[in-house]
Amino acid sequence: MTGLSASAVRDFASIIGAEWVMTREDDRIAYSDHFAGNEERHRPSGALAPAGAEEVRELVRAANRHRVALWPVSRGKNFGYGGPAPVLKGAVVLDLSRMKRIEVDAANGTVLLEPGVGFFDLYDHLQANRIPLWLSVPGNSWGSVAGNALDRGVGYTSYGDHAARICGLEVVLPDGDLIRTGMGAMAGSPNWQLYRHGFGPGWDTLFCQSNFGIVTKLGLWLMPEPEAVMGYDYEFDQPDDLGWAIDTLMPLRREGLIQQSPSIGNWLRSAAVMTTRDQWTKDKGPLDEQVINAIRRQFHIGWWSVQIRFYGHLEVVEASMRVLDRAFGNKPILSKKPARWVTGDPPEGSPVTGVPVTFPLANANWHGGRGGHIGYSPVLPPRGDLAMDQFKRTYALYQKFGMDYHASFAMSERSLVNVNQLLYNKDDAAMMGRVDAMFRALVADAAAQRYGEYRTHIDYMDLVAASYDFNHHALRRLNERIKDALDPNGIIAPGKSGIWPKGRRI
Amino acid sequence: MRGFLRLLLLLGIAAGGNVGVGAAEPKPDGSTVENPFRGVMQDRSFRSSDEAQFVEKCGMCHRQMGMGTVLLARRMDRKLAMLEARGDLTADFIAVAVRRGIGNMPRIGRGELSDGQLAVISSYLVKGPAR
Repeated sequence: MTGLSASAVRDFASIIGAEWVMTREDDRIAYSDHFAGNEERHRPSGALAPAGAEEVRELVRAANRHRVALWPVSRGKNFGYGGPAPVLKGAVVLDLSRMKRIEVDAANGTVLLEPGVGFFDLYDHLQANRIPLWLSVPGNSWGSVAGNALDRGVGYTSYGDHAARICGLEVVLPDGDLIRTGMGAMAGSPNWQLYRHGFGPGWDTLFCQSNFGIVTKLGLWLMPEPEAVMGYDYEFDQPDDLGWAIDTLMPLRREGLIQQSPSIGNWLRSAAVMTTRDQWTKDKGPLDEQVINAIRRQFHIGWWSVQIRFYGHLEVVEASMRVLDRAFGNKPILSKKPARWVTGDPPEGSPVTGVPVTFPLANANWHGGRGGHIGYSPVLPPRGDLAMDQFKRTYALYQKFGMDYHASFAMSERSLVNVNQLLYNKDDAAMMGRVDAMFRALVADAAAQRYGEYRTHIDYMDLVAASYDFNHHALRRLNERIKDALDPNGIIAPGKSGIWPKGRRI
Repeated sequence: MRGFLRLLLLLGIAAGGNVGVGAAEPKPDGSTVENPFRGVMQDRSFRSSDEAQFVEKCGMCHRQMGMGTVLLARRMDRKLAMLEARGDLTADFIAVAVRRGIGNMPRIGRGELSDGQLAVISSYLVKGPAR
């Protein structure tokens, strides 16, 4: 089932052309996880690259006939989570990156996208056509806009919860059927990208982080260009400042004054992108206070830093700044630096205003050599004391396993997402062994607090899924019943999010 | 290029979905620099269809502020950190870097970049800065 027979190759080639059935050795390598310590575990048999939804439907039908497992990727840039590589070794990557249609509704601030559209593609399209809509981009904007939203990625503006801005999907089901969700279920509806719920059950989230279908079009709301963007960059001097900083900001976030998700992170965020570790120390152990202080001096940053931005009409933004000033009052911040952009100014030019970037990926070079990283991202309640506990426990595990602490807490309206990076050198076997053990310890530590990850790497999907254990893993049973109903041959992304088809369950 | 690298140093960056402005330096008079990002966004312009292909497929990492540019600036003459400034690239080297990855550069599959598109970009780069 996981290999590719000659007859399957012929069948696929008759649908999309031999050029797009990619089974050479360099294809299998190109579609593997470049950041993995051991790429073999998730090596695909090859890849298929269809040009549109009709070809996807035909490929899915052929995959059912030949019992070939497909691993759909939008653009395959989900670095830190597996890149383009499948959970199941030998699955065939279904690369949708040739599907690049963009339809913008400028008046209503929406876009209908195919999965191959990257953030830079959409940015270029909006610029070339002078459409005053802004993107919300992730720290690595090389990837797919649709794929990032479906994996619940985040950005920096008030549209930063990307999955929450999805409005209407087109999906190829595992039997080759084609559906449209929400108002798109009515043929020719002008409301597909305008009203999310449609009539009856809503299905958009069914296709987020799942393996129940292949999204071929995704509707997304975009932010109308605001008149002004203003805010502060705050620095905090002590590790213990994390708690009160969160408790100062969360009320403003909850009531909606702050509409983006501020992310308060530590000193390594800057250093890991801008420098390599050996510029600071030759010592292999955890970074000591002397090194931390040197990093902070060079970058003029605190132990923690956070960026707050307001978007909208100038009067409203200026008033919001006054409320923010009042909230911090005389609290002991290390520093605050104002930021201000108003219509007519030269472009602000950063992700804060929706400009896509890739340089944060340079942190893969922190240890030198062939580097990489994986993310550990538990969700916790938005309380300063709980964040402090989480920080201390996690910091202790970084120390225990001899890794460099790299973390942030993103403030959503009702939760904190504690995004941690484990930066490593994949050519350092001893370190790679520590990474695996540490990751498992981190997941267990979060689960003991009843915190779960919002997203994870292909190596750890079963581990994280297992932590969602209410009523003897009732959610897993539901997911498996849906999987069996929609995908009886188990051909779409076996193992995604810990959901396995029958015959492959442990 | 020095100005660009200085701007890089002004950026406090986070991965995993976070970019923070961390380091606007105080001026001698004690005031602070607003918006240290301003004006450092990538030049996405092109003057030929071959260059357009390079911008679409490679520019995000290999023009200003790109991951590739940032990393190559550590390893070689900074004036040559952007691929379009180099005169030493060969088609074979480019093909291996693209399909196998190199250092921290991930591989790019044929679905995203066909052999035909790779050939166009390759010939554009091999011509060097005098192109």
